[in-house]
Amino acid sequence: MWFYAIFLLVAFFVLTPLLLLVLGSFSTASLPTDFSLSTMGLINYVKVYSDPLTYELTVNTAIYVGGSVVVGIGLAFILAWLVDRTNVPWKILIYAGVPMVIAIPSMLQAMAWILMLSPRIGFFNTWLKALFGMESTPINIYSLGGMIFIEGLRLVPTAFLMLVPLMRSMDPALEEAAAVSGASPMSTTRKVTLRLLAPGLVAVTIYQAMTALELFEVPGILGLPSGIYVFSTKIYSIVHSATFPPPYGQANALAMVYLGIAVITTYLYSKMIARTERYTVITGKAYRPRLIDLGPWRWPAVSIVLIYLFVSVVLPFVVLLYASFIPYLQAPSMEAFNHMTLKNYRMVLEYDELGQALWNTGIMVLVTATATTFLSFFISMVVVRSRFWGRRLLDQLAFMPHAIPGMVMGLAFIWVFLKIDFIPLYGTIWSICIAFTISFISYGTRTMNASVIQIHKELEEAAYMSGARPWRTMVRIFFPLMMPAFAGVWIWVVLHAVRIAGTPLMLYEGSNNQVLAILIWNMWDWGQIGGVAAIGTMLIASLMLLTVGVRMLGFRRHLN
Amino acid sequence: MIRIENLHMRYRSEMGEVHAVRGININVKPGQFYTLLGPSGCGKTSTLRSVAGLETPDEGEISIGDDIVFSSSKKISIPPYKRDIGMVFQSYAIWPHMTVFSNVAFPLKEMGRKFSSAEIREKVLEVLSLVQLDGLEDRPAPFLSGGQQQRLALARALVKEPRVLLLDEPLSNLDAKLREETRLEVRELVNRLGITTLYVTHDQLEALTMSDVVAVMSQGEIIQEAPPHEIYQAPRERFVANFIGLANFLEGEVKAVPSNGQAFGEVRTPGGMIRCTLADGVGIGEKVVILIRPEDANLVDGTTATEGNILTASVDSVIFMGDTLECRVITGGQTLRVKLHPSSPLSRGDSVFLELPPNRCRAIRA
Repeated sequence: MWFYAIFLLVAFFVLTPLLLLVLGSFSTASLPTDFSLSTMGLINYVKVYSDPLTYELTVNTAIYVGGSVVVGIGLAFILAWLVDRTNVPWKILIYAGVPMVIAIPSMLQAMAWILMLSPRIGFFNTWLKALFGMESTPINIYSLGGMIFIEGLRLVPTAFLMLVPLMRSMDPALEEAAAVSGASPMSTTRKVTLRLLAPGLVAVTIYQAMTALELFEVPGILGLPSGIYVFSTKIYSIVHSATFPPPYGQANALAMVYLGIAVITTYLYSKMIARTERYTVITGKAYRPRLIDLGPWRWPAVSIVLIYLFVSVVLPFVVLLYASFIPYLQAPSMEAFNHMTLKNYRMVLEYDELGQALWNTGIMVLVTATATTFLSFFISMVVVRSRFWGRRLLDQLAFMPHAIPGMVMGLAFIWVFLKIDFIPLYGTIWSICIAFTISFISYGTRTMNASVIQIHKELEEAAYMSGARPWRTMVRIFFPLMMPAFAGVWIWVVLHAVRIAGTPLMLYEGSNNQVLAILIWNMWDWGQIGGVAAIGTMLIASLMLLTVGVRMLGFRRHLN
Repeated sequence: MIRIENLHMRYRSEMGEVHAVRGININVKPGQFYTLLGPSGCGKTSTLRSVAGLETPDEGEISIGDDIVFSSSKKISIPPYKRDIGMVFQSYAIWPHMTVFSNVAFPLKEMGRKFSSAEIREKVLEVLSLVQLDGLEDRPAPFLSGGQQQRLALARALVKEPRVLLLDEPLSNLDAKLREETRLEVRELVNRLGITTLYVTHDQLEALTMSDVVAVMSQGEIIQEAPPHEIYQAPRERFVANFIGLANFLEGEVKAVPSNGQAFGEVRTPGGMIRCTLADGVGIGEKVVILIRPEDANLVDGTTATEGNILTASVDSVIFMGDTLECRVITGGQTLRVKLHPSSPLSRGDSVFLELPPNRCRAIRA
């Protein structure tokens, strides 16, 4: 029975990493895979919790997550309100431009800002210093503030895409009723509008907090050099610490807390979503809201949008583009423009590691996207269509990775691949494929579930009655009908797998399984800024083309 | 052609176990049009889907032709795609990603390399013209009207010339006027092809007009199985009489059973003694209900001498319905509906004589 095969496969790949993670956190053996009952103990937890740095870490994480969520949601709320409720001009630019931010990998975003705002080399810093004759450079991007700023900018597009439908689902008659009842505009906003939006707003906030908590790249690029750690970067640095063997057990113990926080937020999120849906039932009828006339404020309003797009898309891209053409790093000047060269491009294109990394990335992305798409489809077929006893459980198993931060997933899979050493997966590109596929099936199955439900059961039964065997029914009926969902999931996975650095960095062993994201990370580490800029420019350009292409093909909802 | 023996089906739901089908026996003869009629939840669709193989019964045996397709005791369960059945679904289940032609060609292509593409083309066009969809073969299936989709579903079910045709409420999604036309078309087509048909519906008119045999189902059991006119005229139970057509019921007690050569027995009702046909096995002293259809009762002038039962009654209400006048009369404290010609001069409170012809009255156990 293929039901059992799917069930066991998913159960194995979701539960084994978690089990090994838990066991490893109690193990005092030098390698967590060597654990036995005699080496079990609480020493890892004691070490982690007696360390005052752990508390500093928790506080840092809270400030970083809280700050970036406030910045991200605040900006996204303003943008969503402007396009949905006011007559702000150039709406199409906002709808098309804001999601473009997603096309810039967060690692490159952070690097571009370092080029602008690092205390030593930042262009703006040196200008400001010269302009005001200051003793030292005024802004330090290697700080919690810097992380909050950049991660805040990055949270905007997804929050925007979630807030627009939320606002749209609210019936303005409810606000008008309050106005007619004698409430002033201020108290209408406070007592009706915000109250109605509250559950949805809280859900979006929790979702964004999860994203910020999980993200590795921004705190990694900005925090590691200055020793400002959050959960994700601390786990990375423990595993990559100089001692041998690294204190893996402590990484596991720390990951358990991190995992706990993530699980709780996921739980809260699903609770809030259920509540939001209850509100939507009451107000979910179609209407066109009356637009607020901004009058002379239209132009200041649109300038907020333009500034956001400039700061989060144009500026980072232009800075990387500039850096990719100059022979050595210097602030833009006439002299710098005179020295423009293709040297960096020549260098990276002749660089053997790049060829290998591109090849690896290509294989990794194609295999991961295809595996995620098909695995999600088969899981959804069991969950939605079968009467298999474990279908509910399977659905929950497939959703579980959603709560597991990428770094924890990467760490957990290290133990899986070390433990099942009879299959030589550790250090190969396949290890990254497997870890990514398991991370992405939570998204894949949500999309596929919704899509399978929409295919009337009788369409399938009619094929059986026409004499088609089950696999023929899948090929002739399900595949063509579900093509949009297949393409949507596939492209979503490609866009994510190509730019996430966290999980691959945990599983990275050498040029054998080096992907593009790791290569960029390493080259940055070595100070190959020109090379990073050249690769980054090409990567962003192709991701933008892909994003635009996908939007033109009409898969918009799969992009956030 | 289709034989079902002692079929049982149970569902596990949140409300506990539902015994949906309770020991059904059916024997459909070759070429017969056999209808399962009943209210929703009576088990008719479960029975049909068991024949198709889309549901697995808990107990019983089903055979199509000489082949056993399901048997709980012999542990046989042939998958649906090997049963050689054509089926039309309630939703039509037209595949939206295919053209009209590919929808119909699908069953032929799934038969392996049995037909060349020229043969397939010929067969598809033939069956499309049979259902009057000629010239639409290249149209994408979603661009058909409801009635056309229904006919396309029929064409797809018939194209491989299956031994048996299953129809699951195929007309219920059509509007009233179209339904009437399609009813006749389907019946005529099936007659012409001589294909054995099992039909499921909750619409009594469909059952009466289309079928050779109707089986009325309730709560997982077959209550009565008979040709349409017998189902209408001689229902065996109150449920059947009530479900099919309009019926009046008069309560009473049997006073005399027919003896040597007499056709009718006698039943005493509060309104008077009534001579009527007694259902099999009803004896003296038993409580019965007398069934009489509204169109069979008459209001007569008291002086006319008739063979019939004449009761005195008073008019309770008169409703003008266009082609008929529906009159409610009260006799012996029981209300009856009577269908009259619309020109009848009656008004509320009139005293009238009610004639109930004995050969139209039928007493069944209460």
